[in-house]
Amino acid sequence: MDVLVPTGIATPALAPLARRPPSLDGRLIGVLDNSKPNAGVLLDRLAELLVERTRAAGVRRWRKPGASRAAANVDEIAATVDVLLTGSAD
Amino acid sequence: MLATDAFADLARSAAAALGRPHLPVVTVAHPLGGVEPAAVRARADGALEAVVAALTRDPEPPAPPEAESAGRLEAPDDLDRFQEWVMAQGWGDGLPVLPPTPARVARLLGARRPDVVVARLAPRRALATVEAVAVNAALAGAGPEHLPVILAAVRAVADPRFNLEAVQTTTHPCAPLVIVNGPVRRALGLHGGANALGGGARANAVVGRALRLVLQNVGGAVPGRVDRATLGHPGKFTYCLGEHEEASPWPPLHVERGFAPAASTVTVCAAEAPHNVNDHGSTSAPALLRALAGTAATPGNNNVYLGGEPLLLLGPEHAHTIAASGWSKTDLKRAFWEAARVPLAAFSAENLARFAVIDPARFRDRVFGDRVPLAAAPEDVMVVVAGGAGKHSAVVPTFGATRAVTVPIEA
Repeated sequence: MDVLVPTGIATPALAPLARRPPSLDGRLIGVLDNSKPNAGVLLDRLAELLVERTRAAGVRRWRKPGASRAAANVDEIAATVDVLLTGSAD
Repeated sequence: MLATDAFADLARSAAAALGRPHLPVVTVAHPLGGVEPAAVRARADGALEAVVAALTRDPEPPAPPEAESAGRLEAPDDLDRFQEWVMAQGWGDGLPVLPPTPARVARLLGARRPDVVVARLAPRRALATVEAVAVNAALAGAGPEHLPVILAAVRAVADPRFNLEAVQTTTHPCAPLVIVNGPVRRALGLHGGANALGGGARANAVVGRALRLVLQNVGGAVPGRVDRATLGHPGKFTYCLGEHEEASPWPPLHVERGFAPAASTVTVCAAEAPHNVNDHGSTSAPALLRALAGTAATPGNNNVYLGGEPLLLLGPEHAHTIAASGWSKTDLKRAFWEAARVPLAAFSAENLARFAVIDPARFRDRVFGDRVPLAAAPEDVMVVVAGGAGKHSAVVPTFGATRAVTVPIEA
């Protein structure tokens, strides 16, 4: 028998990613803590290591208001830093 | 983006839903919660090389995705083989479904235009057309008379206040509880009396189940991969009841929320399983409040961490005991909000430290003193009367980072 597909209409559109810098030398690293347990510890340590090992210029830090809530200031973050580390899920 | 290995699929599907399947995801060993900070930092050390590569090398863009639109497929005629086929397609919930044949879906649709978009559903961001909702309703065993309630529930969960992205993907066991008010309950036999949440009424069963299948099949909440509930709860199969308005001493939920008594509405709230409150002894509101508040005020529920709207499902006899003390619903909400508090001493030091960062007002500055309420304000407590004879009620913790949404049911 024929049956109809229940998945609705997917509307995928490929969005471009920001160009990556060739190196992190002199670049400002952003950290957006997603508020999951220990996400900040992991991301802060990575940012610290990037500054130590790659001569990145420094770190700016933000935190989402909660793990289940979107960050309201993504435009500000994008305009401030060169690259960003964030967490997804746990 | 960083994720633990157990959640890498969810991270990648979140990026893909935003049109960026090529966003680099670096994984570390799961879990991070409940782990000493030194061990977490060691995982950062191990991930450094991959992070540097992700930040300094442009990933290859993937081939443009093909637009998928609902079509039709050839399925086995044999109903037992059909069940296996549906599960292999990823469309089922494990219970038997009915085939969404073009004839059955057409019967559900009636004169409705099939291509009207009801909602865009997170996290997959796919469009739930009227036809797509009807196909899932057909799978769930619904009839044409149930479709208006199901369509209203789909519109309600897509309201931004509901926070569907988080509700669909969280490890917390929340499911949309569909509360129906107004004359439509009687027209459909949508039950709010004895055993209202326990089965026996077709309308309750198919409305809740159809919504679940829409959320899975259109919204993309594939169990275990995108729907990351650690345990979930049985209400994820179906979770729907009518308010027992006729047995309530107070105005019903939809009237409280600004609708006319003769309106029919759907309210969705992202709810845990109900926890029973047995009290056969109390004869007054203050006495009964002790059992209600004592059952609700527990240190592991999401409302104590995140606020939101805890729900009281009051059995009619308990509701009348409370009303007989002269309490309005507003009085009950305030008294419950003041009584249902968790002492800070009930939390571990680690949890207190974590929530002092997330909610400093309650957990660090102690604006409510040494006992934390379940909601920011008394009016956030939801009260619904349901059930039949007996001295039982239920407390229903909710997800917290969500608000209940009420919409009218359109013909």
